[in-house]
Amino acid sequence: MSGLQRGLGWLAVASLTAGIVMALGVAPREATQGNVQRIMYVHVPAILIAYLAFAVVLVASVIYLWRRAAGADRLAHASAEVGVVFTGINIATGSIWGKPTWGTWWTWDARLTSASIMFVIYLGYLLLRAMIEDRERGARFAAVLGIVAALDIPLVHFSVYWWRTLHQPSTLLRPGPAPMDPTFVVALTINLVAFALLYAYFLARRVRLLEREEQVLA
Amino acid sequence: MPDNWSFVFAAYALAALVLGAYWRRLGRRERELTSKGASTAPSETSPRKDCAGKAGARTGGASRP
Repeated sequence: MSGLQRGLGWLAVASLTAGIVMALGVAPREATQGNVQRIMYVHVPAILIAYLAFAVVLVASVIYLWRRAAGADRLAHASAEVGVVFTGINIATGSIWGKPTWGTWWTWDARLTSASIMFVIYLGYLLLRAMIEDRERGARFAAVLGIVAALDIPLVHFSVYWWRTLHQPSTLLRPGPAPMDPTFVVALTINLVAFALLYAYFLARRVRLLEREEQVLA
Repeated sequence: MPDNWSFVFAAYALAALVLGAYWRRLGRRERELTSKGASTAPSETSPRKDCAGKAGARTGGASRP
């Protein structure tokens, strides 16, 4: 592991610690939901980073099909894997948040369903890569799937506007200022930055590992 | 609305568990590759048999001075 990568890891740990302190200690108790609203500081950054990860898969897949660059293929593979981890966290924390607020762990709501479909699609993407032995062929098929799968990202995000859902509309990714007290926004932003750093760290490490896997198997 | 701290802690613990498990998985895979790489890498002190054989064939089996 390079010094830069290690530094990124430590930076991610430090910012995650700051994010937890902000979320559980500094941010005020929400008036209607109470303390359970603090789950938002994990739940929202997780899905935003998952969107970012899958957008990286889309761009890297296009580059791979265009240039046949092995580096772009490794980037798409690594980003999909990290994106699945963050999507899993988003769905699981959302379920835990749903029980005390909606009275149920799960409901087939448009947002929950579309997010779960996204999770399954990218799991399928990783399975596809693992199943095809010919590296070139696997990379080509995965790149096509990586582009098609990205269609689900706007579907997940806009599902709360396109259908009647239990899930509240977006708080951050909407036109105009966020309808929240600035302390909530600061805590959320710190957690978002922490998750972004963690994503960058995981991504760099996974890309390096894929490179080494190819060298060892060659 | 009750405080529901148990739900908050459960969500944070679950997120920490998943991220920690992924972090460890990357570390484990790194160690596996390091050991695999070390076992498959050619030794620098002893020449590979196939290279020695080819060199021998090129020079008609004569040993190098």
